[in-house]
Amino acid sequence: MFRSFKENLSPFQRFYITFVSIAVLGPFIPLGIASFAFRWNWPNLLPSTWWLEARDESRRLLAWDYVFSPVSRVLEATGNTIIIALIVTAICTLISLPAARVLAKEKFRGKSFIEFFLLTPLIVPEIAVGLGILITFIQLGLAGSFIGIIIVHLIPTLPYMVRVLTSVFQGLSSDYEEQARVLGASPAKTLWHVTLPMILPGIIAGGLFAFLISSNIFLLTFFVGRGSIDTLPTLLFSKVSSGASLDPVGAGIAIIVSIPGIILLVITERFIKEEVFAKGFGG
Amino acid sequence: MKQFRIPLMLAPAMLVLIILFMGSLIIALLQSFGYAPLYGINEFPTTRYYKDLFSMPGFWRSVFYTFYYALVPTIIGTICSIYLALTLRKRFAGKKFFQYIYKLPLMIPYLVGVSLTILLFANGGIIARMLYAVGLIESTRDFPRIINTHSGWGIMIVYLWKQIPFSTLIIYSVLMGLGKESEEAASTLGANPWQTFWHVTLPQIMPGIVSATIIVFAFNFGNFDVPFILGGGFPNTLPVEAWRAFDDADYSKRLSAMAIVMFISLISGVLLFTYLMLYRRFERLRGRN
Repeated sequence: MFRSFKENLSPFQRFYITFVSIAVLGPFIPLGIASFAFRWNWPNLLPSTWWLEARDESRRLLAWDYVFSPVSRVLEATGNTIIIALIVTAICTLISLPAARVLAKEKFRGKSFIEFFLLTPLIVPEIAVGLGILITFIQLGLAGSFIGIIIVHLIPTLPYMVRVLTSVFQGLSSDYEEQARVLGASPAKTLWHVTLPMILPGIIAGGLFAFLISSNIFLLTFFVGRGSIDTLPTLLFSKVSSGASLDPVGAGIAIIVSIPGIILLVITERFIKEEVFAKGFGG
Repeated sequence: MKQFRIPLMLAPAMLVLIILFMGSLIIALLQSFGYAPLYGINEFPTTRYYKDLFSMPGFWRSVFYTFYYALVPTIIGTICSIYLALTLRKRFAGKKFFQYIYKLPLMIPYLVGVSLTILLFANGGIIARMLYAVGLIESTRDFPRIINTHSGWGIMIVYLWKQIPFSTLIIYSVLMGLGKESEEAASTLGANPWQTFWHVTLPQIMPGIVSATIIVFAFNFGNFDVPFILGGGFPNTLPVEAWRAFDDADYSKRLSAMAIVMFISLISGVLLFTYLMLYRRFERLRGRN
């Protein structure tokens, strides 16, 4: 018998896993507490007055009451975030599909250059693209508009979408499509009845990914939205940009901003397999 | 017909990137050399805005902070991620649950990380209160400044919190694609765990590590919101200074902003290109290509 490959964690690795778990989840405990606080002075570990205790006496809307009131614009920003992300995902999927198919199935001159070009938005500093585009959009009247925001969101989502879909097409055998064609199906019919059902799980994975990226974008929305259109990230920015402290409303908004990601985390575990990432970035 | 199929299918994605992405970079480039008829400025071509930049007070400190905040978390984060990815391959209680939760920071905006950092690491924050409770510090002044300081600890904490899951996911997925055969062979042939890692595992996961470090470094180098909120005021990183110049009431400052972002893009491009070339050379020396 050869020495079996060690499968169990060393004590340090056990500590490491515990530490990472605490570092990831731990901060959300005080965040939750902060969102329900009214008075929380140094050096108390818990608030001395809670939101619900102060709720009736205060003439202002406090904590979650404020978060959910129209004054905070949280609901409006949530709506904006979702609508923008949905439209961006749809457009991004449509324009990435043909490109991904060609990149996965065909050999042609300049292919590696195109593959590289499609990845450049990941490595060119966002601020350079953001300021250049803002100047152009101000002239075109697209600054501060939904269309403008949707257009710029295509830049960071496209590289990921093309990569994910390319790996989906690479894993797809052309046999079924060929059989359908041999049996007399038109190209359109083949696409609709054969190809699409086979790549649908991949499209869903890519779509969830694009949705997530779009809903997390701050800088491009902040630049192009110019304060007239708020999404959840830009709203949170205006709440924490002073950098001094986090009030109950700020904590509440931070929780709301995290919700789409948490939902997607639960869903994507089922759709996005680790291998998709490997094909996308590891080569 | 056939020869048009490939360009036609590539066209939508390529056009979006060429027009939007390259277009905006070209406009930024032209403006940085003095072409801005919109503000009644047309001195094209002039290098004035670049020269002004290099003589601007605090510019070189800005350059230093930009490098520092980008590079340190990239290196520390990559090492932590490699180790986490290797750990994730083993069996342990609660592994399924852990594989869910470690990705959480990846899924939520940087600004949530910024909010959590303010809550925890401000001078009157949760960590300081915990230290007070156990008697390690006596007042908020005894707690080291982590946010709103040029040392940038808060900025780097946010980057690490967000990016270790990202790099771990990439490296782990590369590891999964490899299988364990070659490592087991090395181990059977008498290599110790460190030798196995250094000579067998690491070279195989290098492509994943290189992708992850490039994406992470480029992101940090051009990031605006994290240093804007958690940084130490003037001079801040180059992207923050670019935004301040752009946001100035004096529109001619916008040309300086464009010069700054072109400088950022150039430096980051040169660095990443050099890094990739070094990596290619290393691969050739190993005889893989």
